[in-house]
Amino acid sequence: MTAVNKQLLQNILLLKEAKKLQKMGFISNDQLDLAKIELPVPSSHYNLLFRLGFFILGSMLYSSISGVITLFTATFTQDNFEIITLFIAIIGIIISEFLAKRNYYRFGLDDAFILGFQVSFLGFIWAETGNIFSVFIVMVFLGVLCAVRYVNSLSALISCTGITGAIVYSVLEYHVIDKLFLPFILFFLALGIYFIFHRLNKITKFNVYKNAFLMLQIFSLILGYLSMNYLVVRELSEKLMNIKVTPGNDIPFSFLFYVFTFLVPLLLFIYSLKTKNRNVLYIGFLTLTFSFFTIRYYYALVSTEIALILGGFSVFLTTYFCIKKLKNKDFGITFKPDSEFHGQNQSNSEALLSNSQIDLKPKIPIHQNMPFGGGGYSGGGATGGF
Amino acid sequence: MEQQSDEFSEKLLEKGILTEPQLKEIKDYKALNIFSLHNELNTLLYLSVLLFTSGIGIIIYNNIDSIGHEAILSLLFVLTVVGYYFCYKKSVGFQNAQTYFESPFLNYLVLLCTILSCIILGYFQYQYHVLGYNWSTLLGCILSFFCAYYFDNKSALSIGITGLATFVGITITPKTLIDNEIYSNPMLSYYGLVLGILFLVWSDYANKINLKRHFSMVYLTFALHLISICCIAGLLEDYWILFVFLQGIITLYFYKISYKNNSVSLFGFTLIYGFIGLNIFLSRIAQYIDFSIFEPLLIMIAPMYFIGAIIGFILLIKQFNKKKNDSSK
Repeated sequence: MTAVNKQLLQNILLLKEAKKLQKMGFISNDQLDLAKIELPVPSSHYNLLFRLGFFILGSMLYSSISGVITLFTATFTQDNFEIITLFIAIIGIIISEFLAKRNYYRFGLDDAFILGFQVSFLGFIWAETGNIFSVFIVMVFLGVLCAVRYVNSLSALISCTGITGAIVYSVLEYHVIDKLFLPFILFFLALGIYFIFHRLNKITKFNVYKNAFLMLQIFSLILGYLSMNYLVVRELSEKLMNIKVTPGNDIPFSFLFYVFTFLVPLLLFIYSLKTKNRNVLYIGFLTLTFSFFTIRYYYALVSTEIALILGGFSVFLTTYFCIKKLKNKDFGITFKPDSEFHGQNQSNSEALLSNSQIDLKPKIPIHQNMPFGGGGYSGGGATGGF
Repeated sequence: MEQQSDEFSEKLLEKGILTEPQLKEIKDYKALNIFSLHNELNTLLYLSVLLFTSGIGIIIYNNIDSIGHEAILSLLFVLTVVGYYFCYKKSVGFQNAQTYFESPFLNYLVLLCTILSCIILGYFQYQYHVLGYNWSTLLGCILSFFCAYYFDNKSALSIGITGLATFVGITITPKTLIDNEIYSNPMLSYYGLVLGILFLVWSDYANKINLKRHFSMVYLTFALHLISICCIAGLLEDYWILFVFLQGIITLYFYKISYKNNSVSLFGFTLIYGFIGLNIFLSRIAQYIDFSIFEPLLIMIAPMYFIGAIIGFILLIKQFNKKKNDSSK
């Protein structure tokens, strides 16, 4: 079913586990070396920089190939330029298959072609039908197909985007249901996607698709939060339904959205700590930040600087409290350094970021060259000691 | 998640990579159900420092010529002094090797004090014109370097380095990587080059005398980006021939350095900057040749060029990874 050999894909997971165990000190270096010999894996890049670099190079290669194709075929096809996009997509599929057969997986190059041919195929559909709705529908199936065939996690995201787009479009353009209920429909969609993720993630047979499932999880959590976020709902209802918000006249169900804006992050925190899931925890942090932004956007109770200082204080106090509480715990949730990760990377990135925060450049005032003020020079002669 | 992980361990046992007692050990460890929030809580501490100092910075910036904020300022001053005293008390003192604080808070307290003292210095300069603007920047930067070396704090070091660049007139922060004034002011790129080379020399010297070896990565990273950006800016100028050689030398130098330090990020960025430089060089040459007849040919060569580049990169990275694996054994 998968284009890359499934055994090799499974070996990636095993090798990853072996590396983790070595880092945690359970197995020796020699055992890890043995694992590397015993478990052949596809050529991949785990370093994001390399993968991104090859992705860009691959995209350039793909577009230059498309240029050559267009140059050759433009004279034959005349006005039917749609055919060219289809042709380019087919070339993309062939190259993707070729790369997969050569065991390139998560290399950057393969990602470029897999995503690239999807885009050009969608372009073909759009040029043929001129209808966005059909493009969304094709996105759903194409994304799933690529996610299954090439074990490509970003394709899962394309599929999710497609289904969300299709629903939004059918509500807004085809008026399947009143626009008023769009947030709730999207919220239920998010719940549905999360349910699918939850079901699929349990099946061990599918564990090579773990990253694709992760995409489903992240997408559903963020969609679920945004669909019920007060800021998003209010701005969109003003745009789409021409609702004017005046004092004493809020958007429909506003109370519900207020509650959900803070309830969702809270639930995410509790859920993440209970299931010990780091990704959910991060999304919890992000959504909570956005919730504070939401409230500040409409109700700026204090000025920015005071808010920043108070925020700094409260974050500090919360963290201080947590650290004090967790410091001497040896099991469950702890503050002991994680043996799976090493902190060097964190301190390096902190070092890099802290300089974008502070600007040492002096703010030079406008009158810098005339320190004596306006009358200093001109009046000097007349009023001086002469 | 946990269930799957257990399964993986058992499969590793089947393959003969794990031994029975090891598997038991692993299972015992997993039964503890450890979920470490160490990195997350540290990040939050860092965030709180940044939030607090940005707030203070905005207050001072907004009220810079009104009277009555001396109270806040003196409060800050006292806070900073107390903070420094606290760090000084708890620190192990200056050592050539890497040192650690016992408590996780103190690292961030050092950062807080460093940023606050820079803010206070800047304010004093504005209000009382004690020194020139540049000199006050330099003073802040010396202070940051001192904190960095004395308390062993990388964040303070990076503030110091940025300050030094500001002193010569360049902004080097991640957000100004693309939109930088270097590109519009050619003189700055010469200053930048000198500064970058200074960083390289210093990091080399510090390694030789064993002074805070773990800082060399910060210096090298800044030097690489600073020099490469200056070279690229130079390649776009009139005297570009000079910069072609310079870029070539720098790429080679960092290629060697990244091998020596086993640093993937240095290696990756060296390749990227080298490739950008090469492309600018090629397009510069192309300007001198009349391609109007060859245009279709050029389009047909393009895929070949990219395939060649991809193969080249694959080979280079393969070699690097091999070396890295060998040396980690």
